Amino acid sequence: MSWKLVLALALVARPAPLIGQNGNGGGSTRLAGRVPAAALPAIDSILVAAAAESLPTEPLVQKALEGGAKNIPADRLVNGVRRGLLQLRQARAIVSHAVPGQSPPEGHVAAVAAALARGLSGPIVERLITVAPDEPPGPALHAVADLVAHHFDPDSAADLLVEAHNKGLRGVRLLDVAVAADHELQRPGGRTRSEALAHVRAMLPNVRPVRP
Amino acid sequence: MSPIDPRLQEALDSERDPGDLPVDLWEAYARLNAATQILKATPPVSVASRVMAEIRQNPAPVQGEGPGRRLIHWLGRPRAVTVRLRPVWTLALAAGLTAVLVLQWPRGGPTPGVAQGIANFVGQFPGAQSVEVVGSFNDWSRGMLHLNDDDGDGIWRAKAVLPAGQHEYMFVVDGERWLPDPLAGRYVDDGFGAGQQNSVLIVRPVSAQP
Repeated sequence: MSWKLVLALALVARPAPLIGQNGNGGGSTRLAGRVPAAALPAIDSILVAAAAESLPTEPLVQKALEGGAKNIPADRLVNGVRRGLLQLRQARAIVSHAVPGQSPPEGHVAAVAAALARGLSGPIVERLITVAPDEPPGPALHAVADLVAHHFDPDSAADLLVEAHNKGLRGVRLLDVAVAADHELQRPGGRTRSEALAHVRAMLPNVRPVRP
Repeated sequence: MSPIDPRLQEALDSERDPGDLPVDLWEAYARLNAATQILKATPPVSVASRVMAEIRQNPAPVQGEGPGRRLIHWLGRPRAVTVRLRPVWTLALAAGLTAVLVLQWPRGGPTPGVAQGIANFVGQFPGAQSVEVVGSFNDWSRGMLHLNDDDGDGIWRAKAVLPAGQHEYMFVVDGERWLPDPLAGRYVDDGFGAGQQNSVLIVRPVSAQP
């Protein structure tokens, strides 16, 4: 091959897409060889259903890849992916109810599904979305989920995040609110959780940024 | 400009004998002739400016100037450089640069972009032979992100540039034990029915990091 041909090929070559397109966002193409062959048809039909409902398929593809990497048996793997589809449907219903008249963004649906998987209730999620319908809901949802995971009252935690939003905190800065409440709880002197939340509420919006 | 008498002009151009001029033109002829002689004696301005330019370009060496100062003068003096290029090599060079831009040549170093952040993974696994991180950021693929324990104290570390946002992950110790990150602080059931939990990582974009 002459150098002229090599140069010509280099000029016309473009990075090829990593996945094919087959009606489910190319998900099943990415799964070939990564999940048990016995699980592929069922997973493919789940992906097709999700795509037909305009639900994000990437979380389902990730769940299938995760199951394959963990050597999860085919039936449990399919059940895990199907559970993910159900959560996405529930998430889309919550987002649609919170923000009627708009087509729910895929990012919102995926973030809400993740929050539901972390244990947040539908009403809490819907309340947080209603406060800031045009903003990515992930950070606020994770902040409340963090507080709930540390046994704070879910409604009080949601109140705190709504107030933080109203006082100008946005995006990942909302995560700092949950960290601040946890720090207040761990201070010497034995604060209760409601006292910790009250202290953080008093310092809003000036909670300390958390360094990664 | 007032017109000059043609007879006077002819005399100045040596086309007429000045003695043939009328008397009333003699004085004018004498003044103009003197002025012409003065102009002929003055060197042209362009010559002087050329000489000055030459002096400025090639100043006489200063007596006692050291080699360092001469080197600085030599380096700072403008010089004409002639580069001879064959058109075929010029085109090849341009094509090569274009190819690099079009194909987005991989850059070295883990520099996070605007929508990326840096994740630090730390875990204490005494006696482990290998520890890696597997998660949604690498399609749950093995062998892509290894932790290191350079000093052998059992504390394994890795740093990675990841897309901003939420990721689920687990540590894989010695290639077979899947363990959640005890320092993650966030966990979620993996949904496969065995009660196993994934760690949850939220990567802050560099633009939002304090």
